[in-house]
Amino acid sequence: MAEPLLSIDGLSAGYRGQHVLRGLSLAIPKGSFTAIVGPNGHGKSTLLRAISGLIKPTAGTIRLGEQRLDRLRPDQIVSAGVVQVPQGDLLFPEMTVLENLQMGAFLPSAAAHMSHRLEEVYALLPKLKERQDQVASTLSGGERRMVGIGRGLMADARLLLLDEPSLGLAPIIIDQIYQVVMALRRSGRTILLVEESATRVADKADRIHLLDHGAFVWSGAGSELMARPEILATYLGA
Amino acid sequence: MDVVIQIIASGLTLGAIYAVSTVGLSLVYGSLNMLNMAHGALLALGGYICFYTMTAFGLPALAGVLAAIAVCGLVGLLIYFSTAAPMLEAPQFETRVFIATIGFGAVIENIVLRLFGPQPTRQPLKIAGDIVVGNVHIPNQNLLILAVALGLMVAVALLLKRSRLGRAIRATAQNREAAQLMGVRVGQIYALVLAISGGLAAISGIMVSSLSSLLPNMGGDPMLKAFIICILAGLGNVTGAVISAIGLGLLEATLQYNLGVQYSFALLLLLVIVVLIWRPHGLFGRQHVVRL
Repeated sequence: MAEPLLSIDGLSAGYRGQHVLRGLSLAIPKGSFTAIVGPNGHGKSTLLRAISGLIKPTAGTIRLGEQRLDRLRPDQIVSAGVVQVPQGDLLFPEMTVLENLQMGAFLPSAAAHMSHRLEEVYALLPKLKERQDQVASTLSGGERRMVGIGRGLMADARLLLLDEPSLGLAPIIIDQIYQVVMALRRSGRTILLVEESATRVADKADRIHLLDHGAFVWSGAGSELMARPEILATYLGA
Repeated sequence: MDVVIQIIASGLTLGAIYAVSTVGLSLVYGSLNMLNMAHGALLALGGYICFYTMTAFGLPALAGVLAAIAVCGLVGLLIYFSTAAPMLEAPQFETRVFIATIGFGAVIENIVLRLFGPQPTRQPLKIAGDIVVGNVHIPNQNLLILAVALGLMVAVALLLKRSRLGRAIRATAQNREAAQLMGVRVGQIYALVLAISGGLAAISGIMVSSLSSLLPNMGGDPMLKAFIICILAGLGNVTGAVISAIGLGLLEATLQYNLGVQYSFALLLLLVIVVLIWRPHGLFGRQHVVRL
């Protein structure tokens, strides 16, 4: 197995004294596409929030390469190369599409390559170029999600975290979103994605981890998971 | 015709002063959801610092203004680090910080009272002369206030719209968590916003005192008017605050001329009540508050 880019060891975290994550350990190899699946409310987004520094772990460590992330502020974690595309529409609603994308390259290291990155994002998501002067709050749900992904790509991410990119979208839009995710995967980016539905990522991810009540209860390849209907039925209601 | 010119000149001057102090308040509310009740005390502090720099050290007016901006900016930072930052994550932050800044304002006001005394003091930053339009004499001081206020509004608009810092301020105001995920250090942005607001309060205080006189509690009335304008415009809406400030200044001048000074404030409050019944989120506010 390749040297892990992200290593999580014994991570516990939660909100106001309530533990959501209970001693999680995870290693994500460089250049891999890892998916975490599980029912709603069992800690998937909390894990990404802990990696991004939005909540502080109560125990355990998070490392990017050799660098400890769990003691850093969110802006320092972005600076280290961990960029999250958050769940739902966490855009800047009164800014234009272009301004939202520019915010993705807010840090000086990313701002230096702003025009080049913008070209790359427009090549991958051409609709954003057409909409670049439109205010984000007037976009459709699918377009907003595309802006969120595009904004995440504007930074020079070593690790891209995608929080339920399909949430609340029509099936045809979900397919488009996953085409973009797979294009990113082919470009060699390291991706950690969380999803409620295992079937959506089973044939795409290198490795899937099943999260239940804040702990991993199963890990393996997507094809292995799909061959275990009892696990799907027990944990995912499939 | 002369009456109209007189009302417009007075109204624009009032509106310009209100706009400068309202924008500071609105920036802070838009970014932090924080009603800074120490804003009035900062106005007075700014006026006195300008006075002290010019009279005690014999320095020119520009030095007085810069010293006032620097001191009030630093006090703005102090308000953030001592009062707002420790309770930022606490439940009911808005209520807690509202009460805490009342206390902070009282401390500043009493320090000013202790240092400079309760007697009215003349603000030395005043330019002489006037221009005549029709039969109306418009003091150059009023024109200076108008020009400075206009310049400041353009500067604030450019800062918010064109600069990296401005984008970060707007991003933090619109979605704090998303801004953090873009690498914005939100604590730093909040501190800077309070410092900018402090600097604007200092300029507003110098303007107010140049038309009347320096008093330790002189910030109370402009702060109250600034709150009225903020609510009228929609809390946190900077553009709306500027338009409302100018409109309110003109209205106040008209009411003062036609009905007398004693009725103008009561009628302004009545106007706010009517506006809030008609549009609960203010003239420029939205149901889903998106600020700046």
